Amino acid sequence: MYFTEWNSSRLVRNSMRRGKRRNLLTPSTFSLLHAVDFADRFIYQILPPLRAGMIVLADRYVYTAFARDVARGVHPDWVRSVYRFAPRPDLTFFFRVPIDVSLERLLAGRAKLKYYEAGMDLGLSTDLAESFRLFQGRVLENYDRLAEEFDLRVIDANHDIAGQQKVVRRMTGEILREYDEQRARVHHGNSHGH
Amino acid sequence: MAIRPSRAKRWHGHGLPYLDEKPLPGHLIVIEGTDGVGRSTQVELLRGWLELEGHAVSNTGWTRSPLLSATIADAKAGHQLTPITFSLLYAADFADRLEHEILPALQAGFVVIADRYMYTAFARNAVMGTDPEWTHEVFGMALVPDLVLYLEIDVDTLVPRVLRGKGMDYWESGMHLALSSDIFDSFQNYQRRIIEEYRRLARDFGFVTIDARESISKIQSEIRAHVSDYLRRAHNGFQPQADGPSPAPSARPLAQARKG
Repeated sequence: MYFTEWNSSRLVRNSMRRGKRRNLLTPSTFSLLHAVDFADRFIYQILPPLRAGMIVLADRYVYTAFARDVARGVHPDWVRSVYRFAPRPDLTFFFRVPIDVSLERLLAGRAKLKYYEAGMDLGLSTDLAESFRLFQGRVLENYDRLAEEFDLRVIDANHDIAGQQKVVRRMTGEILREYDEQRARVHHGNSHGH
Repeated sequence: MAIRPSRAKRWHGHGLPYLDEKPLPGHLIVIEGTDGVGRSTQVELLRGWLELEGHAVSNTGWTRSPLLSATIADAKAGHQLTPITFSLLYAADFADRLEHEILPALQAGFVVIADRYMYTAFARNAVMGTDPEWTHEVFGMALVPDLVLYLEIDVDTLVPRVLRGKGMDYWESGMHLALSSDIFDSFQNYQRRIIEEYRRLARDFGFVTIDARESISKIQSEIRAHVSDYLRRAHNGFQPQADGPSPAPSARPLAQARKG
């Protein structure tokens, strides 16, 4: 099993930091910098374990960009083209919460909302919380559309954690049944297996 | 509502749909050509001349965006780049300069001279074996330039020019493609492929091809002739009778000139 996280490659960290600190990012450069980050992780971290037959668990994937960058105004076809090198996951969960709940959860964890996560670059409102609601509202609408377009499994993240986990494990188990059968075949055919 | 570029201006793909509609009365002139062909010298000479002619001039160059130039330099130093990350970094650099330099200057009526443009990515990506369709789509946010002047050279003329200049570097020699462990062989092989791609692009995108084997001053006077011809036609509102192909003999691709 391999785990990978959004926005964690070293390659564009400095550009991202510089851009965010000085509010230099436009919707296109924001989108492309995240694409570089993702591509770098995809090539070095996601693809090799997949080729080796491992399970890769990704915290966010291209759908984050499809939902968020389109909410910023880039063309939906363009952002899909940019990420075309990435294969569709075997299973994608979308943990869905109403805006007020996510706002509450974010503010419980830290003092302040971030400029870009609140969509302040779009000038929707000068009030941080209000801008967050408007921007994340657009993002959520996009996610709902993506859930249909890409068959994302929607998990009601308002439920208790144990309940969510039960659903996630059941669905993952269904997908992995096939994987376990394949592995069993590989191991059977290769008695000197590791 | 997207920017509706004035005159004949259009986007390469979807453009930048989030920008407000504003006219772009300026002119976007691109100088393309492979590494070491003498682009920067020509750009500087052209800039000085245009300013003397009374134009407001702004120039922009590949990987020169404040947001990305350091990152690209670091990444190149570390050999961590793959064709996909390479292309996306170039696209980010390009988008940053497009929105912060090129479009504002065009809105203000400047003549913008771009030292390399999206065609550099098209040529390099094709040689690296990246899906050309993908590269075109990624650069769909680009504005199509008003005039592309392509400085064409052959590898045999290029080699001594590069060696007298800053020498053969890892990336410009295509060492990342592992064509050869010998940098000289690799340079020749890689640049030959790049020049071939440029020739294809010159045909597909209607570049004005200029013979870069000539002297600096000869090349510059050809460039000026094409630029002033373009500016005159732009000033006259691109009347159909003045809109024909340029009569300058140098507009012929080098390949034809050599055969002829």
